[in-house]
Amino acid sequence: MNIIFQGGSVASEDGAPVKADVWVEDGVVKGVATNLPVPDGARVVDASGKIVAPAMFDAHVHFREPGQEHKEEIATGTEAAINGGVTGVVMMPNTTPAIDTAAVVKMVLEKAAAVSRIPVYTSGCITKDRAGKELAGIDGMRDLGVVMLTDDGDPVADPAVLKRAMEYATEFGMFFASHCEVEELSGPRALNEGKKSYQLGIQGSPACSEEICMDRDIRLAHATGAHVHIQHVSSAIGMETIRWWKSMGARVTAEVAPHHLLYNEEDIGDYNTHYKMNPPLRTAADNAALMQGLKDGVFDLIATDHAPHTEFEKAQDFVTAPNGITGLDMALVVLFHNCIAKGEFGWDLLVKRYSAEPRRFMGLEPVPVEEGKRSELILFDPNGETTFTREFMQSKSSNTPVLDQTLKGRVEMVVMGDEILLER
Amino acid sequence: MARKDFLDIASLSREEVELLLEQAVPFKELFTRSVKKVPALKGKSVLMLFYEPSTRTLSSFEVAAKRLSADVTVFDVPHSSVVKGESVKDTIDTLQSMRTDYIVVRHQRAGLPLAIARQTGASVINAGDGAHAHPTQGLLDAFTFKEVFPETDGKKVLIVGDILHSRVARSTCTVLQKLGVEVAFLGPGSLVPKKGPEGVKRFTDYEEAMKWGPDVVYLLRVQMERQDAPFFPSLREYHKVYGITEERFKRISGEGTYIMHPGPVNRGVELCHAVMDYERTLINQQVENGIAARMAVLYSLKPGI
Repeated sequence: MNIIFQGGSVASEDGAPVKADVWVEDGVVKGVATNLPVPDGARVVDASGKIVAPAMFDAHVHFREPGQEHKEEIATGTEAAINGGVTGVVMMPNTTPAIDTAAVVKMVLEKAAAVSRIPVYTSGCITKDRAGKELAGIDGMRDLGVVMLTDDGDPVADPAVLKRAMEYATEFGMFFASHCEVEELSGPRALNEGKKSYQLGIQGSPACSEEICMDRDIRLAHATGAHVHIQHVSSAIGMETIRWWKSMGARVTAEVAPHHLLYNEEDIGDYNTHYKMNPPLRTAADNAALMQGLKDGVFDLIATDHAPHTEFEKAQDFVTAPNGITGLDMALVVLFHNCIAKGEFGWDLLVKRYSAEPRRFMGLEPVPVEEGKRSELILFDPNGETTFTREFMQSKSSNTPVLDQTLKGRVEMVVMGDEILLER
Repeated sequence: MARKDFLDIASLSREEVELLLEQAVPFKELFTRSVKKVPALKGKSVLMLFYEPSTRTLSSFEVAAKRLSADVTVFDVPHSSVVKGESVKDTIDTLQSMRTDYIVVRHQRAGLPLAIARQTGASVINAGDGAHAHPTQGLLDAFTFKEVFPETDGKKVLIVGDILHSRVARSTCTVLQKLGVEVAFLGPGSLVPKKGPEGVKRFTDYEEAMKWGPDVVYLLRVQMERQDAPFFPSLREYHKVYGITEERFKRISGEGTYIMHPGPVNRGVELCHAVMDYERTLINQQVENGIAARMAVLYSLKPGI
């Protein structure tokens, strides 16, 4: 491959996009400069008015394999990622069976190697079958490259079990990711406790359920020297809890999902299950606080919590319908449309939080569009638009609030190494 | 414009509420005649789909539908394939194939009647869904209220008890507010949501609530089945703090305040025995008016099939 992107701007985590041509040959960025001469034999792509950016990385996805392939498979999930400009993902282990031993990790990674065009990483469970009782097979999973341990979907309810796991696995160089809630407070885990839960007549899950568990997990990490990563933070006080613990020097990182930044309980309307996830959408004030937390660096990463479910499952009543919405096909465009295009934040924040930091977090090198670096980049048209029809989305499921909506921005190309993974 | 479904009070305008209340008046007059039946829904079919046990609401709807000359089928949920694990969606598809004109549904899941309404051409009437809504109860309460107070604007109703789990509180509060009635809540802190409906006063003390001067005290049923994981220490304590005790009853009857209750009552919990014989206790009127209100609802809807 020999290709030059002419007339575009290069996005990086360090500042506003800079006008430059980008030449890529044999999987390496060979030149980034204005008015680059067209190399012999290079294909010229007109990038004027467009953005060349590092490809994204999503540290929180549910690919449902093994066990729930009717919702998603590694093959379809990774294609959804490419469709959305994402070239690396971390799978969550709440599959059936759960990813809690070397054998299951091996099966998942072998499957990914066979069907996926992008690297797939998997987390492993903290406890066997995510049951919160006995430790999962830590050493065997570590040998296969697992670095993140989580029982995502549920907290480890017993603090003594989590403390022991932290004491043990930290010495293997592994870290913890916490889905935070106190199950006794959460009720049926359907929506936020507040105005909307009263109106719809469903027991709500209060923000303090998440905040108490989050605080507990960070305290345990602080006490044991573990690194804990707080997943999908949904509330203002949760964000402030993390800010405070960071100021105390705790080894804590955190992620925010696009849906918690952009939507709130009012969007549920008349029981729209495309706004049902756990933790639930909270209030407009929480949206604003989370956005501020993202800008202040309280959140290290943006991650989608891509959670596919079938149309049939989501068509059930609000309490019965499963939690979660998809994210990979659309996160980049959704964030561009709602945040970058509206001046909420710039490409630098997006590249930092959805590309560079998630890779560092997983112990990987970021993929800046710089001379001499491996090419892993996207071409994005800010003047284009994307309509999220079922046909457009590559995920097996289409449980997303943006279904059939047209948003500003369009992923035009995805390049990884010497391969063009996507071109429209 | 006629609606297909009757799912909640919130989506109705004040005019629609008042129209339904007016329509209920001639139906109620019918009850004093020897023939209590009109041919309004002759040849139409009404299916009663009750996923939750109910005697009062089920029989009230059944009587209402029969007085309109409709054919009534009671779908016996405890013996149906629902208990064999059939999904609600598949049940709906089955019902759709029966081409019934009206479906009256009660379900423990909030929002389920709406889900059914979206998937069927039949008119769906919500007979109570979880803690969400019980709109025909709201309507019958408004009807009963209006019989006593034809001018509703500015009147005051105090709703006492378990607001949190009560679909009755939600629908009755909403319908009264639509009619310009001021509503206040009184109940245990564990059973009155902090973020409730807008414009509702919240009292924590019985005496203060009575000083507010309500025209009606609306008592909600204490749900005994929740006493496994109680929201208050004991029924005795509930009666003492939030119930109409003998002593409080003296004052209420002295001031001529009306009492309402959706039934069935727990004597000695929400109220003392004497309240049941008080001439301004409207509980029996509520039951009678329930039939008229439900007839008005059935009569007003326009099935889409």
